[in-house]
Amino acid sequence: MRFSKLLRKELRECLPWMLLAAIVFFAFGGFFLRAEAYFESDRHYSRLSPGTAVDYYWLTYYSILNVTGPWLFFLSIGLGLVLGVRQFWIPNFTRTWPFLLHRSVSRKTILAAKLTATMIAFVISLGPVWVGLYWYASRPEVFAVPQTLRVFIEGWIFIMLGLVAYLGTALSALSTANWYTTKIFGLLLATVIIVTTLSQWTLAGIFTSIAVSVAILLVQIFDTFLRREF
Amino acid sequence: MNNIVLKTKGLTKYYGGTLAVDHMDLEIPRGCICGFVGRNGAGKTTAIKLMLGLLNPTAGSSRLLGCDSSALTPAIRQRIGYVTEGHRLFRWMNIGGLEKFQRAFFPKQWDDRFFADMIEYFELSKKQKIKHLSNGQRAQVSLALALAPNPELLIMDDPTLGLDAAIRRQFLEGMIELIMRQGRTVLFSSHILGDVERVSDRIVVIDKGVLRANCSLEQFQKAIKKVILSFADSVPDLVNIDGVLHCKRSEKQLELTLVGTDDEKISEWAKSAGAENYNIIKMNLEDQFIEFTAPANDRRLFQWEER
Repeated sequence: MRFSKLLRKELRECLPWMLLAAIVFFAFGGFFLRAEAYFESDRHYSRLSPGTAVDYYWLTYYSILNVTGPWLFFLSIGLGLVLGVRQFWIPNFTRTWPFLLHRSVSRKTILAAKLTATMIAFVISLGPVWVGLYWYASRPEVFAVPQTLRVFIEGWIFIMLGLVAYLGTALSALSTANWYTTKIFGLLLATVIIVTTLSQWTLAGIFTSIAVSVAILLVQIFDTFLRREF
Repeated sequence: MNNIVLKTKGLTKYYGGTLAVDHMDLEIPRGCICGFVGRNGAGKTTAIKLMLGLLNPTAGSSRLLGCDSSALTPAIRQRIGYVTEGHRLFRWMNIGGLEKFQRAFFPKQWDDRFFADMIEYFELSKKQKIKHLSNGQRAQVSLALALAPNPELLIMDDPTLGLDAAIRRQFLEGMIELIMRQGRTVLFSSHILGDVERVSDRIVVIDKGVLRANCSLEQFQKAIKKVILSFADSVPDLVNIDGVLHCKRSEKQLELTLVGTDDEKISEWAKSAGAENYNIIKMNLEDQFIEFTAPANDRRLFQWEER
Protein backbone atom coordinates (compact mmCIF):
# COMPACT_ATOMS: atom_id res chain seq x y z
CA MET A 1 0.00 0.00 0.00
CA ARG A 2 2.82 2.39 0.91
CA PHE A 3 4.74 1.54 -2.25
CA SER A 4 1.65 1.98 -4.37
CA LYS A 5 0.99 5.39 -2.76
CA LEU A 6 4.53 6.47 -3.55
CA LEU A 7 4.22 5.05 -7.05
CA ARG A 8 0.99 6.92 -7.70
CA LYS A 9 2.51 10.16 -6.44
CA GLU A 10 5.51 9.73 -8.74
CA LEU A 11 3.33 8.79 -11.71
CA ARG A 12 1.16 11.83 -11.12
CA GLU A 13 4.25 14.02 -11.18
CA CYS A 14 5.37 12.35 -14.43
CA LEU A 15 1.92 12.55 -16.03
CA PRO A 16 2.11 15.96 -17.78
CA TRP A 17 5.42 15.07 -19.39
CA MET A 18 4.26 11.58 -20.35
CA LEU A 19 1.22 13.02 -22.07
CA LEU A 20 3.22 15.73 -23.78
CA ALA A 21 5.76 13.24 -25.14
CA ALA A 22 2.99 10.88 -26.33
CA ILE A 23 1.04 13.66 -28.04
CA VAL A 24 4.10 15.15 -29.75
CA PHE A 25 5.27 11.74 -30.95
CA PHE A 26 1.80 10.80 -32.17
CA ALA A 27 1.28 14.11 -33.94
CA PHE A 28 4.67 14.58 -35.58
CA GLY A 29 5.66 10.92 -35.95
CA GLY A 30 2.25 10.17 -37.38
CA PHE A 31 2.31 13.13 -39.75
CA PHE A 32 5.74 12.36 -41.17
CA LEU A 33 4.94 8.68 -41.42
CA ARG A 34 1.85 9.46 -43.47
CA ALA A 35 3.87 11.80 -45.65
CA GLU A 36 6.57 9.17 -46.16
CA ALA A 37 4.02 6.52 -46.91
CA TYR A 38 2.43 8.63 -49.64
CA PHE A 39 5.38 10.30 -51.26
CA GLU A 40 8.68 8.71 -50.37
CA SER A 41 8.63 4.98 -49.85
CA ASP A 42 7.86 4.11 -53.46
CA ARG A 43 10.88 6.12 -54.53
CA HIS A 44 13.19 4.24 -52.16
CA TYR A 45 11.73 0.95 -53.21
CA SER A 46 12.16 1.74 -56.89
CA ARG A 47 15.92 2.25 -56.37
CA LEU A 48 16.29 -1.47 -55.91
CA SER A 49 17.18 -3.19 -59.12
CA PRO A 50 15.53 -6.56 -59.65
CA GLY A 51 17.38 -9.38 -57.91
CA THR A 52 19.14 -7.15 -55.40
CA ALA A 53 19.64 -8.87 -52.07
CA VAL A 54 17.68 -7.01 -49.43
CA ASP A 55 19.66 -6.90 -46.23
CA TYR A 56 18.71 -5.73 -42.74
CA TYR A 57 20.50 -2.44 -43.16
CA TRP A 58 18.47 -1.57 -46.20
CA LEU A 59 15.21 -2.60 -44.57
CA THR A 60 15.99 -0.60 -41.47
CA TYR A 61 17.18 2.45 -43.30
CA TYR A 62 14.14 2.72 -45.57
CA SER A 63 11.67 1.81 -42.88
CA ILE A 64 9.37 3.55 -40.45
CA LEU A 65 12.52 4.26 -38.39
CA ASN A 66 13.75 6.53 -41.13
CA VAL A 67 10.88 8.91 -40.56
CA THR A 68 9.76 8.41 -36.98
CA GLY A 69 13.08 7.25 -35.49
CA PRO A 70 14.56 10.72 -34.89
CA TRP A 71 11.32 11.85 -33.26
CA LEU A 72 11.22 8.78 -31.05
CA PHE A 73 14.91 9.08 -30.16
CA PHE A 74 14.92 12.77 -29.26
CA LEU A 75 11.57 12.64 -27.48
CA SER A 76 12.72 9.65 -25.49
CA ILE A 77 15.99 11.35 -24.50
CA GLY A 78 14.06 14.55 -23.72
CA LEU A 79 11.51 12.70 -21.61
CA GLY A 80 14.36 10.99 -19.72
CA LEU A 81 16.04 14.31 -18.98
CA VAL A 82 12.80 15.98 -17.91
CA LEU A 83 11.74 13.13 -15.62
CA GLY A 84 15.21 12.96 -14.09
CA VAL A 85 15.06 16.68 -13.36
CA ARG A 86 11.46 16.43 -12.08
CA GLN A 87 12.15 13.57 -9.71
CA PHE A 88 15.62 14.33 -8.44
CA TRP A 89 16.52 17.94 -9.20
CA ILE A 90 13.35 19.83 -8.43
CA PRO A 91 13.10 18.48 -4.83
CA ASN A 92 16.56 19.97 -4.20
CA PHE A 93 15.13 23.40 -4.97
CA THR A 94 11.67 22.97 -3.47
CA ARG A 95 13.31 21.35 -0.42
CA THR A 96 10.71 18.62 -0.23
CA TRP A 97 13.22 15.81 0.34
CA PRO A 98 12.90 15.86 4.16
CA PHE A 99 9.09 15.68 3.93
CA LEU A 100 9.30 12.78 1.48
CA LEU A 101 12.03 10.87 3.27
CA HIS A 102 10.72 11.05 6.83
CA ARG A 103 8.05 8.37 6.58
CA SER A 104 7.56 4.78 7.49
CA VAL A 105 9.28 3.30 4.48
CA SER A 106 12.92 2.75 3.70
CA ARG A 107 14.80 4.98 1.30
CA LYS A 108 15.14 1.96 -0.99
CA THR A 109 11.35 1.81 -1.33
CA ILE A 110 11.14 5.52 -2.11
CA LEU A 111 13.80 5.21 -4.80
CA ALA A 112 12.26 2.02 -6.19
CA ALA A 113 8.93 3.85 -6.53
CA LYS A 114 10.61 6.65 -8.49
CA LEU A 115 12.40 4.25 -10.85
CA THR A 116 9.32 2.08 -11.34
CA ALA A 117 7.17 5.13 -12.08
CA THR A 118 9.62 6.25 -14.75
CA MET A 119 9.73 2.83 -16.40
CA ILE A 120 5.94 2.78 -16.46
CA ALA A 121 5.89 6.35 -17.77
CA PHE A 122 8.14 5.43 -20.71
CA VAL A 123 6.25 2.26 -21.53
CA ILE A 124 2.80 3.80 -21.41
CA SER A 125 3.59 7.11 -23.09
CA LEU A 126 5.93 6.45 -26.01
CA GLY A 127 5.38 2.67 -26.13
CA PRO A 128 1.75 2.54 -27.32
CA VAL A 129 2.34 5.30 -29.89
CA TRP A 130 5.33 3.44 -31.26
CA VAL A 131 3.37 0.18 -31.42
CA GLY A 132 0.49 2.00 -33.13
CA LEU A 133 2.71 3.66 -35.71
CA TYR A 134 4.55 0.40 -36.38
CA TRP A 135 1.24 -1.39 -36.82
CA TYR A 136 0.09 1.32 -39.20
CA ALA A 137 3.29 1.19 -41.23
CA SER A 138 3.15 -2.61 -41.38
CA ARG A 139 -0.14 -2.59 -43.23
CA PRO A 140 0.66 -3.63 -46.82
CA GLU A 141 -1.23 -0.81 -48.45
CA VAL A 142 0.47 1.95 -46.45
CA PHE A 143 4.22 1.48 -46.76
CA ALA A 144 6.00 0.05 -49.74
CA VAL A 145 8.78 -1.49 -47.66
CA PRO A 146 8.00 -4.37 -45.31
CA GLN A 147 8.59 -3.60 -41.64
CA THR A 148 10.78 -6.10 -39.84
CA LEU A 149 10.85 -7.22 -36.22
CA ARG A 150 14.31 -5.67 -36.00
CA VAL A 151 12.82 -2.27 -36.80
CA PHE A 152 10.23 -2.76 -34.09
CA ILE A 153 12.91 -3.71 -31.53
CA GLU A 154 15.06 -0.74 -32.50
CA GLY A 155 12.17 1.54 -31.65
CA TRP A 156 12.13 0.03 -28.18
CA ILE A 157 15.88 0.49 -27.96
CA PHE A 158 15.34 4.22 -28.52
CA ILE A 159 12.85 4.17 -25.66
CA MET A 160 15.40 2.37 -23.47
CA LEU A 161 17.96 5.04 -24.30
CA GLY A 162 15.56 7.56 -22.81
CA LEU A 163 15.69 5.58 -19.59
CA VAL A 164 19.49 5.74 -19.75
CA ALA A 165 19.27 9.54 -20.07
CA TYR A 166 16.89 9.55 -17.07
CA LEU A 167 19.29 7.50 -14.94
CA GLY A 168 22.21 9.73 -15.89
CA THR A 169 20.25 12.85 -14.97
CA ALA A 170 19.15 11.26 -11.69
CA LEU A 171 22.73 10.40 -10.77
CA SER A 172 23.96 13.91 -11.57
CA ALA A 173 21.07 15.45 -9.61
CA LEU A 174 21.78 13.29 -6.58
CA SER A 175 25.49 13.97 -6.57
CA THR A 176 26.53 16.68 -4.15
CA ALA A 177 29.87 17.21 -5.85
CA ASN A 178 30.75 20.30 -7.85
CA TRP A 179 29.72 20.59 -11.48
CA TYR A 180 33.30 20.55 -12.70
CA THR A 181 34.05 17.33 -10.81
CA THR A 182 32.05 14.14 -10.42
CA LYS A 183 28.56 15.66 -10.51
CA ILE A 184 28.70 15.58 -14.29
CA PHE A 185 29.61 11.85 -14.23
CA GLY A 186 26.00 10.63 -14.51
CA LEU A 187 25.15 12.71 -17.56
CA LEU A 188 28.53 11.99 -19.11
CA LEU A 189 28.16 8.24 -18.65
CA ALA A 190 24.62 8.35 -20.07
CA THR A 191 25.92 10.21 -23.16
CA VAL A 192 28.71 7.67 -23.65
CA ILE A 193 26.22 4.80 -23.33
CA ILE A 194 23.86 6.38 -25.85
CA VAL A 195 26.63 7.03 -28.39
CA THR A 196 28.07 3.54 -27.86
CA THR A 197 24.67 1.95 -28.29
CA LEU A 198 23.90 3.89 -31.45
CA SER A 199 27.22 2.81 -32.94
CA GLN A 200 26.51 -0.89 -32.34
CA TRP A 201 24.93 -2.90 -35.08
CA THR A 202 24.15 -6.31 -33.56
CA LEU A 203 21.25 -6.51 -31.15
CA ALA A 204 23.41 -8.57 -28.78
CA GLY A 205 25.97 -5.76 -28.70
CA ILE A 206 23.30 -3.14 -28.15
CA PHE A 207 21.61 -4.99 -25.32
CA THR A 208 24.91 -5.87 -23.67
CA SER A 209 26.08 -2.26 -23.73
CA ILE A 210 22.73 -1.02 -22.36
CA ALA A 211 22.50 -3.71 -19.68
CA VAL A 212 26.04 -3.21 -18.39
CA SER A 213 25.75 0.56 -18.36
CA VAL A 214 22.32 0.63 -16.75
CA ALA A 215 23.60 -1.74 -14.06
CA ILE A 216 26.50 0.64 -13.33
CA LEU A 217 24.16 3.64 -13.18
CA LEU A 218 21.65 1.85 -10.95
CA VAL A 219 24.31 0.73 -8.48
CA GLN A 220 25.63 4.29 -8.33
CA ILE A 221 22.15 5.79 -7.92
CA PHE A 222 21.14 3.41 -5.11
CA ASP A 223 24.43 3.94 -3.33
CA THR A 224 24.22 7.73 -3.63
CA PHE A 225 20.56 7.92 -2.65
CA LEU A 226 20.94 5.70 0.41
CA ARG A 227 23.97 7.56 1.73
CA ARG A 228 23.17 11.09 0.62
CA GLU A 229 22.34 13.86 3.05
CA PHE A 230 19.09 15.71 2.48
CA MET B 1 10.03 2.07 29.20
CA ASN B 2 13.10 4.19 28.53
CA ASN B 3 12.56 7.68 29.89
CA ILE B 4 14.93 9.34 27.44
CA VAL B 5 13.44 9.78 23.98
CA LEU B 6 16.30 11.66 22.41
CA LYS B 7 19.97 11.31 23.20
CA THR B 8 23.02 12.64 21.43
CA LYS B 9 26.59 11.95 22.36
CA GLY B 10 29.43 14.06 21.01
CA LEU B 11 27.29 14.86 17.98
CA THR B 12 29.40 16.86 15.57
CA LYS B 13 28.83 18.06 12.05
CA TYR B 14 31.18 19.88 9.71
CA TYR B 15 30.15 21.28 6.33
CA GLY B 16 33.50 21.33 4.63
CA GLY B 17 35.57 23.41 7.00
CA THR B 18 32.59 24.98 8.76
CA LEU B 19 31.61 23.60 12.12
CA ALA B 20 27.81 23.47 12.38
CA VAL B 21 27.30 21.30 15.45
CA ASP B 22 30.03 20.88 18.00
CA HIS B 23 30.15 17.81 20.26
CA MET B 24 26.55 18.05 21.36
CA ASP B 25 25.61 15.91 24.36
CA LEU B 26 21.89 16.19 24.80
CA GLU B 27 19.19 14.20 26.53
CA ILE B 28 15.48 14.93 26.25
CA PRO B 29 13.20 13.16 28.71
CA ARG B 30 9.85 11.73 27.73
CA GLY B 31 6.77 13.90 28.08
CA CYS B 32 8.38 17.33 27.92
CA ILE B 33 7.82 20.22 25.58
CA CYS B 34 11.26 21.33 24.67
CA GLY B 35 12.05 24.63 23.01
CA PHE B 36 15.23 24.36 20.99
CA VAL B 37 16.49 27.90 20.66
CA GLY B 38 19.39 29.59 19.00
CA ARG B 39 20.16 32.53 16.76
CA ASN B 40 19.99 32.22 12.98
CA GLY B 41 22.73 29.87 11.84
CA ALA B 42 23.27 28.50 15.34
CA GLY B 43 22.94 24.91 14.08
CA LYS B 44 19.34 24.11 15.05
CA THR B 45 18.25 22.74 11.66
CA THR B 46 21.47 20.79 11.25
CA ALA B 47 21.08 19.28 14.72
CA ILE B 48 17.46 18.29 14.00
CA LYS B 49 18.38 16.77 10.66
CA LEU B 50 21.19 14.82 12.33
CA MET B 51 18.74 13.55 14.94
CA LEU B 52 16.35 12.42 12.20
CA GLY B 53 19.07 10.72 10.19
CA LEU B 54 18.69 13.10 7.24
CA LEU B 55 22.30 14.17 7.68
CA ASN B 56 25.26 12.01 8.62
CA PRO B 57 27.30 13.15 11.62
CA THR B 58 31.00 13.86 11.21
CA ALA B 59 31.49 12.42 14.69
CA GLY B 60 29.37 11.27 17.59
CA SER B 61 25.99 9.64 17.59
CA SER B 62 22.33 10.29 18.15
CA ARG B 63 19.49 8.05 19.25
CA LEU B 64 15.76 8.63 18.84
CA LEU B 65 13.33 6.42 20.76
CA GLY B 66 16.24 4.08 21.47
CA CYS B 67 17.22 3.66 17.82
CA ASP B 68 20.36 5.00 16.20
CA SER B 69 19.44 8.02 14.08
CA SER B 70 21.48 6.85 11.12
CA ALA B 71 19.47 3.63 10.99
CA LEU B 72 15.94 4.69 11.92
CA THR B 73 13.62 1.89 10.91
CA PRO B 74 10.25 2.57 9.24
CA ALA B 75 8.57 1.42 12.47
CA ILE B 76 10.45 4.03 14.51
CA ARG B 77 9.80 6.76 11.94
CA GLN B 78 6.12 5.94 12.24
CA ARG B 79 6.31 7.06 15.87
CA ILE B 80 7.95 10.38 15.06
CA GLY B 81 6.14 13.38 13.62
CA TYR B 82 8.25 15.90 11.75
CA VAL B 83 7.34 19.40 10.63
CA THR B 84 9.97 20.52 8.15
CA GLU B 85 11.48 23.98 8.04
CA GLY B 86 9.44 26.25 5.78
CA HIS B 87 6.60 23.68 5.63
CA ARG B 88 7.71 22.31 2.29
CA LEU B 89 4.91 20.12 0.96
CA PHE B 90 4.05 18.81 -2.51
CA ARG B 91 2.68 21.92 -4.18
CA TRP B 92 0.56 20.19 -6.80
CA MET B 93 -1.44 18.18 -4.26
CA ASN B 94 -4.56 19.43 -2.55
CA ILE B 95 -5.05 19.08 1.19
CA GLY B 96 -7.29 16.04 0.80
CA GLY B 97 -4.78 14.36 -1.49
CA LEU B 98 -1.97 15.07 0.90
CA GLU B 99 -4.02 13.63 3.74
CA LYS B 100 -4.60 10.40 1.78
CA PHE B 101 -0.91 10.23 0.90
CA GLN B 102 0.21 10.76 4.48
CA ARG B 103 -2.39 8.41 5.97
CA ALA B 104 -1.01 5.50 3.92
CA PHE B 105 2.16 5.65 6.00
CA PHE B 106 0.33 5.60 9.33
CA PRO B 107 -2.48 3.13 8.63
CA LYS B 108 -3.23 2.20 12.25
CA GLN B 109 -2.55 5.49 14.00
CA TRP B 110 -4.11 8.01 11.65
CA ASP B 111 -6.88 9.99 13.30
CA ASP B 112 -9.28 11.07 10.53
CA ARG B 113 -11.49 12.97 12.93
CA PHE B 114 -8.59 14.91 14.41
CA PHE B 115 -7.28 15.89 10.98
CA ALA B 116 -10.73 17.02 9.83
CA ASP B 117 -11.18 19.02 13.05
CA MET B 118 -7.80 20.71 12.65
CA ILE B 119 -8.54 21.64 9.03
CA GLU B 120 -11.90 23.01 10.06
CA TYR B 121 -10.37 24.87 13.00
CA PHE B 122 -7.87 26.50 10.67
CA GLU B 123 -10.71 27.34 8.26
CA LEU B 124 -9.22 25.42 5.38
CA SER B 125 -10.87 23.22 2.77
CA LYS B 126 -9.57 19.82 1.71
CA LYS B 127 -10.01 20.87 -1.90
CA GLN B 128 -7.49 23.71 -1.63
CA LYS B 129 -4.24 23.12 -3.46
CA ILE B 130 -1.03 23.51 -1.51
CA LYS B 131 0.39 25.90 -4.11
CA HIS B 132 -2.52 28.25 -3.49
CA LEU B 133 -2.03 28.38 0.28
CA SER B 134 -0.26 31.15 2.13
CA ASN B 135 2.81 30.43 4.23
CA GLY B 136 0.67 30.40 7.38
CA GLN B 137 -1.89 28.04 5.88
CA ARG B 138 0.86 25.67 4.77
CA ALA B 139 2.16 25.73 8.33
CA GLN B 140 -1.29 24.76 9.56
CA VAL B 141 -1.59 21.89 7.09
CA SER B 142 1.90 20.79 8.00
CA LEU B 143 1.00 20.71 11.68
CA ALA B 144 -2.24 18.83 11.07
CA LEU B 145 -0.37 16.25 8.98
CA ALA B 146 2.23 15.80 11.70
CA LEU B 147 -0.28 15.57 14.55
CA ALA B 148 -2.95 13.36 12.98
CA PRO B 149 -0.91 10.16 13.36
CA ASN B 150 -0.67 10.92 17.09
CA PRO B 151 3.14 10.69 17.21
CA GLU B 152 5.00 9.75 20.33
CA LEU B 153 7.66 12.33 19.52
CA LEU B 154 7.03 15.45 17.49
CA ILE B 155 9.98 17.35 16.06
CA MET B 156 9.33 20.73 14.47
CA ASP B 157 11.93 22.82 12.74
CA ASP B 158 11.13 26.49 13.23
CA PRO B 159 7.41 25.91 12.69
CA THR B 160 6.36 29.51 13.33
CA LEU B 161 8.97 31.11 11.09
CA GLY B 162 7.42 33.77 8.88
CA LEU B 163 3.96 33.54 10.44
CA ASP B 164 2.10 36.57 11.70
CA ALA B 165 1.15 36.85 15.37
CA ALA B 166 -2.45 35.61 14.95
CA ILE B 167 -1.51 32.57 12.88
CA ARG B 168 1.36 31.84 15.27
CA ARG B 169 -1.02 31.80 18.18
CA GLN B 170 -3.40 29.48 16.33
CA PHE B 171 -0.48 27.26 15.45
CA LEU B 172 0.70 27.08 19.04
CA GLU B 173 -2.82 26.29 20.22
CA GLY B 174 -2.85 23.42 17.74
CA MET B 175 0.40 22.26 19.22
CA ILE B 176 -1.08 22.35 22.67
CA GLU B 177 -3.67 19.82 21.41
CA LEU B 178 -0.87 17.33 21.18
CA ILE B 179 0.76 18.43 24.38
CA MET B 180 -2.46 17.62 26.19
CA ARG B 181 -2.17 14.02 25.12
CA GLN B 182 -0.32 12.21 27.83
CA GLY B 183 3.26 11.14 27.44
CA ARG B 184 3.90 12.94 24.17
CA THR B 185 7.23 14.67 23.69
CA VAL B 186 7.70 17.76 21.55
CA LEU B 187 10.96 19.28 20.41
CA PHE B 188 10.57 22.47 18.46
CA SER B 189 13.20 24.86 17.31
CA SER B 190 12.52 28.56 17.27
CA HIS B 191 14.13 31.91 17.63
CA ILE B 192 10.90 33.46 18.83
CA LEU B 193 11.33 33.32 22.57
CA GLY B 194 7.72 34.29 23.23
CA ASP B 195 6.58 31.04 21.62
CA VAL B 196 9.01 29.04 23.69
CA GLU B 197 7.90 30.79 26.86
CA ARG B 198 4.24 30.15 26.06
CA VAL B 199 4.39 26.40 25.48
CA SER B 200 7.69 24.92 26.66
CA ASP B 201 8.61 23.44 29.95
CA ARG B 202 12.18 22.79 28.91
CA ILE B 203 14.74 24.83 27.01
CA VAL B 204 17.77 23.82 25.01
CA VAL B 205 20.05 26.65 23.89
CA ILE B 206 22.47 26.17 21.03
CA ASP B 207 24.93 28.82 19.99
CA LYS B 208 27.37 28.50 17.11
CA GLY B 209 26.86 24.76 17.19
CA VAL B 210 27.65 24.48 20.90
CA LEU B 211 25.02 23.32 23.35
CA ARG B 212 24.90 26.07 25.95
CA ALA B 213 21.96 25.08 28.11
CA ASN B 214 19.65 22.15 28.60
CA CYS B 215 17.37 22.56 31.58
CA SER B 216 13.83 23.33 32.61
CA LEU B 217 12.51 26.68 31.47
CA GLU B 218 11.98 27.69 35.07
CA GLN B 219 15.59 26.91 35.94
CA PHE B 220 16.85 28.92 32.98
CA GLN B 221 14.68 31.89 33.89
CA LYS B 222 15.86 31.77 37.51
CA ALA B 223 19.49 31.43 36.55
CA ILE B 224 19.92 34.55 34.45
CA LYS B 225 19.37 37.83 36.19
CA LYS B 226 20.35 41.45 36.06
CA VAL B 227 21.79 43.18 39.12
CA ILE B 228 22.17 46.94 39.43
CA LEU B 229 24.58 48.01 42.13
CA SER B 230 24.92 51.60 43.33
CA PHE B 231 28.13 52.92 44.84
CA ALA B 232 28.68 56.03 46.92
CA ASP B 233 32.05 56.87 45.37
CA SER B 234 33.18 55.06 42.32
CA VAL B 235 32.56 51.66 40.76
CA PRO B 236 35.28 49.10 41.65
CA ASP B 237 37.67 48.12 38.88
CA LEU B 238 37.59 44.43 39.59
CA VAL B 239 34.33 42.52 39.24
CA ASN B 240 35.36 39.24 40.79
CA ILE B 241 32.07 37.42 40.95
CA ASP B 242 31.30 34.16 39.13
CA GLY B 243 28.91 33.99 36.20
CA VAL B 244 29.24 37.47 34.72
CA LEU B 245 27.74 37.55 31.24
CA HIS B 246 27.69 41.26 30.77
CA CYS B 247 29.02 44.22 32.69
CA LYS B 248 28.08 47.85 32.13
CA ARG B 249 29.65 50.65 34.13
CA SER B 250 28.57 54.18 34.71
CA GLU B 251 29.99 56.66 37.18
CA LYS B 252 28.28 55.34 40.27
CA GLN B 253 26.43 52.33 38.98
CA LEU B 254 27.36 48.88 37.90
CA GLU B 255 24.97 46.81 35.86
CA LEU B 256 25.74 43.11 35.80
CA THR B 257 24.05 40.27 33.96
CA LEU B 258 24.79 37.09 35.81
CA VAL B 259 24.19 33.47 35.15
CA GLY B 260 23.92 30.76 37.76
CA THR B 261 24.87 33.08 40.60
CA ASP B 262 22.56 32.73 43.59
CA ASP B 263 21.17 35.69 45.48
CA GLU B 264 23.30 35.04 48.58
CA LYS B 265 26.52 35.27 46.60
CA ILE B 266 25.32 38.48 45.00
CA SER B 267 24.57 39.91 48.43
CA GLU B 268 27.99 38.89 49.79
CA TRP B 269 29.83 40.34 46.82
CA ALA B 270 27.83 43.57 46.91
CA LYS B 271 28.87 44.05 50.54
CA SER B 272 32.50 43.21 49.90
CA ALA B 273 32.62 45.56 46.92
CA GLY B 274 31.21 48.37 48.98
CA ALA B 275 27.90 48.82 47.17
CA GLU B 276 25.41 51.13 48.86
CA ASN B 277 22.53 49.04 47.63
CA TYR B 278 21.65 46.65 44.88
CA ASN B 279 18.56 45.55 42.97
CA ILE B 280 18.01 42.19 41.34
CA ILE B 281 15.89 42.71 38.27
CA LYS B 282 13.90 39.91 36.68
CA MET B 283 14.53 39.64 32.98
CA ASN B 284 12.21 38.34 30.32
CA LEU B 285 13.24 35.26 28.37
CA GLU B 286 14.17 37.18 25.26
CA ASP B 287 16.57 39.46 27.14
CA GLN B 288 17.99 36.49 29.00
CA PHE B 289 18.58 34.65 25.75
CA ILE B 290 20.19 37.67 24.08
CA GLU B 291 22.55 38.22 27.00
CA PHE B 292 23.29 34.53 27.26
CA THR B 293 24.22 34.17 23.60
CA ALA B 294 25.83 37.57 23.11
CA PRO B 295 29.03 37.33 21.02
CA ALA B 296 31.16 38.41 23.97
CA ASN B 297 29.96 35.34 25.82
CA ASP B 298 30.90 33.04 23.04
CA ARG B 299 31.94 29.71 24.49
CA ARG B 300 31.92 31.04 28.04
CA LEU B 301 30.72 27.64 28.94
CA PHE B 302 27.68 27.49 31.01
CA GLN B 303 26.11 24.18 30.47
CA TRP B 304 23.93 22.70 33.02
CA GLU B 305 21.71 19.73 33.07
CA GLU B 306 18.89 18.89 35.32
CA ARG B 307 20.03 15.89 37.29
